[in-house]
Amino acid sequence: MRSFTQQLLNGIFIGSIYALFALGYTLVFGVLDVLNLAHSAVFMIGAVVAYSLVALHGWSFWVAAPAAIAVAGALGLVIEYVALRPLRRRNAPPLAAMITTIALALILVALVEQAKPGGALAWLWRDGANSVKFPPHTVPNDTFHVGGVTLTASKLAILVISVILMAALGYLVRRTSAGRSLRAVAENARAARLLGVNVNRVITRTLVASSALAGLAGILFGVALSDISPYIGRDQVELRGLAVIVLGGMGSVTGTIVGGYVLGIVEVMALLAFGTNVRAGVAFLALFLMLVLRPQGLLGGAAVERV
Amino acid sequence: MVGVAVAALVATACGSSGSSYKGKTLQFGAVFSLTGPGGVYGAQQKLAVELATEVINRKGGVDGAKIAFRIEDDASDKQQSAQVTQRLIQEQRVVGLLGPTLSNSAVAAHPIADRLKTPMLAVSTTGFNIVGTCPYSCTYIFRDSLGEASAIPANIKTYADKAHPKTAVLLFPNDDKFSADGAQVVRDNVAKNNIELLDSIQFTKAEADLSPYVTKAVQRNPDVIFITSLGAIPSKIMIEARRQGFTGQFLGGNGFNTAAVSKAAGDAGKGAQSGSAWYSGNDFKANAEFIRAYKAKFNADPDQFAAQAYTGVLILVDSAKRAKLTFKDQAGDRRRLRDAMEKTSIDSPLGPFQFTKQHDVDQPIWIIAMDGRGGFSLVSSLNPG
Amino acid sequence: MDFLRQLFTDPVGFYHSHELLIAQAGINSLLALSMWVTLYSGQITLANVGFMAIGGYTSVILAIHLHSPLVVDVLAGCALAAVVSVAIGLPVLRLRGVFLAIATVGFGEALRFGVLLNLGITGKGQGLNNPAADPGALLPVWVSVAVVVYLFARLARTRTGVAWAAIREDDLAAASGAIDVARLKLAAFVIGAVVAAYAGALDAHLNFFVDPTEYAFNRAVLVLIFAVVGGTTTVAGPLVGAVLLTALPEIVRGAADYREVVYGVVLILVTVFRPEGIVSRRSFRVRAAADAS
Repeated sequence: MRSFTQQLLNGIFIGSIYALFALGYTLVFGVLDVLNLAHSAVFMIGAVVAYSLVALHGWSFWVAAPAAIAVAGALGLVIEYVALRPLRRRNAPPLAAMITTIALALILVALVEQAKPGGALAWLWRDGANSVKFPPHTVPNDTFHVGGVTLTASKLAILVISVILMAALGYLVRRTSAGRSLRAVAENARAARLLGVNVNRVITRTLVASSALAGLAGILFGVALSDISPYIGRDQVELRGLAVIVLGGMGSVTGTIVGGYVLGIVEVMALLAFGTNVRAGVAFLALFLMLVLRPQGLLGGAAVERV
Repeated sequence: MVGVAVAALVATACGSSGSSYKGKTLQFGAVFSLTGPGGVYGAQQKLAVELATEVINRKGGVDGAKIAFRIEDDASDKQQSAQVTQRLIQEQRVVGLLGPTLSNSAVAAHPIADRLKTPMLAVSTTGFNIVGTCPYSCTYIFRDSLGEASAIPANIKTYADKAHPKTAVLLFPNDDKFSADGAQVVRDNVAKNNIELLDSIQFTKAEADLSPYVTKAVQRNPDVIFITSLGAIPSKIMIEARRQGFTGQFLGGNGFNTAAVSKAAGDAGKGAQSGSAWYSGNDFKANAEFIRAYKAKFNADPDQFAAQAYTGVLILVDSAKRAKLTFKDQAGDRRRLRDAMEKTSIDSPLGPFQFTKQHDVDQPIWIIAMDGRGGFSLVSSLNPG
Repeated sequence: MDFLRQLFTDPVGFYHSHELLIAQAGINSLLALSMWVTLYSGQITLANVGFMAIGGYTSVILAIHLHSPLVVDVLAGCALAAVVSVAIGLPVLRLRGVFLAIATVGFGEALRFGVLLNLGITGKGQGLNNPAADPGALLPVWVSVAVVVYLFARLARTRTGVAWAAIREDDLAAASGAIDVARLKLAAFVIGAVVAAYAGALDAHLNFFVDPTEYAFNRAVLVLIFAVVGGTTTVAGPLVGAVLLTALPEIVRGAADYREVVYGVVLILVTVFRPEGIVSRRSFRVRAAADAS
């Protein structure tokens, strides 16, 4: 029973990371109908910058983390101005945005990957392709043993933060004028513009918010899993993010959060039931079935394109 | 008449010893993983090869010829490994190569080198069937990196003899050849050390969160957790296992044997033990020279991977000396180099070095343990038995 | 720039040094073409690598266990892919846009993780070694490319091809025009799957191995990039895209450490300044302009 509880907790914690990561995807997709595939690179940069400030420059974690989140948010501006707006201006097909964001991700990962001592980027990162963790005692990450089960502070923090964020985002979207503008643009950008909404500004803000979220998720990931490298975010986390937004319902904030937890828990249960690494296979099977049977996801309400 | 004959004899005698390669360049290649999961090991390999090149050229090169190494990155990717190998052989016209870093890449790169009849010396691949009997023709393939099939049993026996553990759990990613082969060796050797393997838990190497697997392992309460993997994985497992209350022993393989892994594991990895082909404190003369030169040039300590790569260069260079290369007949030169390599017998940082008939390595095994501070301490050493 | 210089000054030497690369460009062309046929009918599917895996693994498994000739292995792979594509296509092709893309990604990854990594016969995580490999087999690859290009070019001009283009422009309108949209979409999907499987079988034949990482999401995205950057309005587009982008890492190898950065920058520039692709008969602006009015 103890083992089951611990595994359930593992599932909940990894679910929080998936949910936090996928929130950014959902925001951008809801507003722009675009999959921002640079999201995972921003996630990684958040962790890298926080690590850099703490380990290479001696900052306190409590100052470094907000700074890193700010940097991540700024990357949102880069994504918008370099990868997205030029395409919108030229009325390019949505696929094109996928490609430019992928290219941006490639660039960011490569820059960090190549950063070595003595190199041009050595002020940011010196470990090249290696994985590092925050130096001991720089980040509070106490471990509690409660009733035979192990809890770490960082994982609890992720849980708490994601719930708070959901509430905050929900409030923002439903009760503020910024939120109304966002929903208007998500519904129909042309109509929104006619009604006086500054569409470009809404989009920019969305990208900044989404990227800041990615940076935050990356920092928490780095702390909780003791793993910071140019490759975090790529592959597994990125794809799980996609699975989550599908499961939860694309464009639905609540759905994404729920989807994240559902995926995390289902994966771990599958691992327990089937032994070996069926884990990821389960995620994608679930995604596939969901799309075929209920494309709007568990909680998505928006009309899904279906012929 | 006699004078001419004597002069001719003298001329031939002088020509066959010493500067017969004068003015030429011996072009070698190296395929290392400088990026990707293998990048943790490839970085040291590159530095060691650069150091060796400098040291040898400073001492006069090989019979008057300068040596040059063209080092390329295969990004820990099989396809790139094969392509880079082909390019180095066909375009750069190297006479011999080192690498690739990962056993996983070797199955792609080595068949290419063998087909193109160019000797390739692996300096860090420790999986099965890399040399000797391979699933493809490998008559031109060698390695100087001690195989897991030798290192792991020695490690297990050393620990078992001292601590008599009864139970163990094995954790490994099943989509990496090095890890999977190591796991097989563990499975084959636990019984004879009276250890019961309670579970063999597999995952994939790209997984971000290993907590559920670690929980599964820790909940069995084993005396030992075996971790036969590389890159970022060993340290992540060790940290998470300690967090979840595991107080037993970590035993591993070649993947442990570099400072980056020991440092990443930190306190959690203290005492984690593995079999290594090299230990910095070994008392071979060639080793002391190597360490001194490495520290002087790079201001850092070398590790096992650096020592093996350095030895690889020494082997190639020594063989080139004996091979009587023509510098004109490329195919013939490559064959001559391969034949000369088979008869290698030199002093190296790894100790006195020779190849076995299978082009494999037979050498002392050093049992080392992580010291919790990014380094290693020596537990014991075994001689080839 | 050595790469380009050698290509023009020493083509024979270039060929020998880059056989594998040239072969890879051919495989990538076939994959991009398999992507093209679905894109041409307006469907964004990323399932090609899944079918490529089916083709590759089937042919290697048969080669290992039955020692059957290459032709049989390849055909078997294509046949299996065709069957699977119908089974997958029927439920999935009702989706559109990003949803379809993600569903097909789900299929590919479920195949990789659920099946390939766990079955003994597929060698699990390490894949299989192909004993009958022949890295010099460039000719079959490029002949295939030529044949497929020709067939697709003809196909585009038939009623089916025109119907596909109509579906791409506006599938609701096409449906009301008495075109069996569902059947045509499925046809495109299956054809794409068979070509992808064929590419996979050839790819396995060229290398000495098949393994699950060859068929990951990254590769699917890469193939999509080849097709889109090359241009999807003509058959030549994907071919150009595949060849150029396969060669690009080699062309910029001179940038050494930063070659991936250069690759990314090139991608962004090409996509922003020519979103309809490098080779394009007519741009998508026509439709977008209609939308905007």
